Amino acid sequence: MLLAVVAIAVFLLVEVLPLFWPDGASFPLEALWSSPDVSGEPEYRWLPHRLDDAAVPQASLAPLLWGTLEAAAWALVVAIPLALGAAAHSSLYMSPGLRARLKPTLELMEAMPSVVLGFIAGLALGPWVERHLAQSLSIVVVLPAAVVLLALGYRWLPDRLKAALTLRWAALWLIPCLLLLVWLAMSVAPMWEGWWFDGDLRLWVEESWGLDVQARNALIVGLAMGFAVIPGIYALAEDALSDVPRELAEGAQAMGATRWQTLTRVMLPVALPGVFSAIMIGAGRAVGETMIVLMASGNSALMTASPLDGLRSLASSIAIELPEAAPGGSHYRLLLLAALALFAFTFLVNTLAEVVRARLKRRFTRRKGDA
Amino acid sequence: MSRLSRCIGALKRTLLSPSRGPRTLSIAESIAAASEAPGALSIAGSSVASRVAPRLVSGLVLSSMLVSAKVAAHDVAGSLDAIGSDTMAELMLRWGEQFEEQRPGVRLQLQVAGSASAPPALIAGTTLLGPMSRPMQEDESAAFIERHGYAPTPVVVGKDALVVVVNRHNPLSRLSRAELDAIFSDTLACGASESIERWQQLGLERPGGTIHLYGRNAVSGTHGLFRRRALCDGEFKVSVMVSAGSAAVVAAVGDDPAGIGYAGLNHLNADVKAVAIGNAEDGILPRRQSLRSGGYPLSRDLLIYVNRPPEGELPDVERAFLDMVLSPSGQRVVKELGFVALPPSVLAAQRHALGLAELPRDGP
Repeated sequence: MLLAVVAIAVFLLVEVLPLFWPDGASFPLEALWSSPDVSGEPEYRWLPHRLDDAAVPQASLAPLLWGTLEAAAWALVVAIPLALGAAAHSSLYMSPGLRARLKPTLELMEAMPSVVLGFIAGLALGPWVERHLAQSLSIVVVLPAAVVLLALGYRWLPDRLKAALTLRWAALWLIPCLLLLVWLAMSVAPMWEGWWFDGDLRLWVEESWGLDVQARNALIVGLAMGFAVIPGIYALAEDALSDVPRELAEGAQAMGATRWQTLTRVMLPVALPGVFSAIMIGAGRAVGETMIVLMASGNSALMTASPLDGLRSLASSIAIELPEAAPGGSHYRLLLLAALALFAFTFLVNTLAEVVRARLKRRFTRRKGDA
Repeated sequence: MSRLSRCIGALKRTLLSPSRGPRTLSIAESIAAASEAPGALSIAGSSVASRVAPRLVSGLVLSSMLVSAKVAAHDVAGSLDAIGSDTMAELMLRWGEQFEEQRPGVRLQLQVAGSASAPPALIAGTTLLGPMSRPMQEDESAAFIERHGYAPTPVVVGKDALVVVVNRHNPLSRLSRAELDAIFSDTLACGASESIERWQQLGLERPGGTIHLYGRNAVSGTHGLFRRRALCDGEFKVSVMVSAGSAAVVAAVGDDPAGIGYAGLNHLNADVKAVAIGNAEDGILPRRQSLRSGGYPLSRDLLIYVNRPPEGELPDVERAFLDMVLSPSGQRVVKELGFVALPPSVLAAQRHALGLAELPRDGP
């Protein structure tokens, strides 16, 4: 295995190196970052296919790096709260029977081919969101707010109801509640869209904020890729939380701490390195993910901060362009350089995550040995 | 290799015993000929095989007969190779089916890696038919001449066009060439004074807002043709959404009321609307007439390049294939797939240039 990894790295290096030799590249190396436009301002454009016949060669990797990181960041924004929340809930509250069912379900979610996720996000979800912007926004605002309110209100429920709706089975009885909320959010959406935004939120957003809503944008990518990385983060974070020695949690509860206090004050601090490594591995997956970004992002190499614009990642550029780039040409070597960058990044992230995890494991076993 | 030859020798001795007739001779020879094939090599190469070869004979005879059957088909009926354009893939397949009906036993073997893959294959002689959706570039034909001593022969087999499409609800019906360039490029090489970013700049109330651009990836022939013709060799805006094919562009525009894109003529469907190109009085829609006359600015020829020596003839199979392509039934396929068939005059000229028999007068 190690040999294969080393061989891949060496192959990429050998193919890329000629770019950096004197007179190896047919263009100035600064073009890899930015190139001056007509007025001399730096410009970031990815036009590798015209390296040889354009007056000013432009092959800036900057928009691709930006797109890669932007997509990964949105994916983590979606995935971290959901995955960590699920991990905390299932390791502390959930009934063991339900937990045993939940794990295979999440594994199924992980096994979902990313091309299917990308297809759904790019061809169904994206256009739907663009056409029903108000409904989508309504769901995004109402759902988390309602969940927080529900959680706060749970405490004041009458005891009889509480006995029926135990936290151990929350995962089951919450589903109809959430569906009801989604339906509610969608049905009120046209009303407030009509009252406040002249019936067309998309135009209103564009005219007053200058934000243009594209059907395939960074948020859609984040949503689909978040879905893809949730199972990985959940599994590792759940492991980290369950690995926390039981004596710690039991001790805290014996001292009168509630389960929430046990979680936030005792278990999370101890398991933090493990949770951190779970997030790192999720980030590594999100950075290297190809098909979801390829199909859901629109692949326009933009460098804008707007989450409603399209983006283009390193991995999807390689997937699109490598089959048609002449082997040995500058374009080909540039794409392999992108591949090398991806490889180095995921290698570093995963190694770091593994090191952190191993150290955590050692600490727990040592502590057990002491006791 | 010595083991291999010993094995074949053993086989030959077994098979060439006098009791068998001349029929077995041909089988043995075909084994020898087929021993280059990987399947035969793996059997013959093992040391066990050389010892038990006589017992294996019956099995080998069977497999060798399969091989020789293939060889025979190759020699008598001929197989037809074509390497080139992916735009023309379906066209070539349909022609291949039609040709197979005329000449049972002939198989069309098609590789569609893109127009750029045709010239190298023609030069190396791995194919005799090179379908291309663009004319050969200078360096490509120069390389061909260097190898063969004469120029490759282009055969025009149909016409295609790039269509600018908008959503079916979009009231836009016409764009001048400068406007088209101002929408898709920021280099403004066609003479527009400012870039067009919003539908309002075209005097449209609906769909309103920013124009969403859809296009192909930078290495596709469609992208290149549009860039050269519609953008006057300028460069696309960065904000063009890159789709995985012409059909995907059409699907995206069909879904997006504010979208505009370009695609091959044969990908048009009911969700999108083609936009006429040209000035107010002479806006030209990509219709059969305007494409045949060459009036539509974004049209292109679909070609099949062949390797035909100046004083020689094409091999029989290739010649028959082109005869069928340039016949009324072949041109009907062009029409059925959404491309534009050749006008009779061009068809006649193409047939004449290839030395094919003239079509009957009552024509298509």
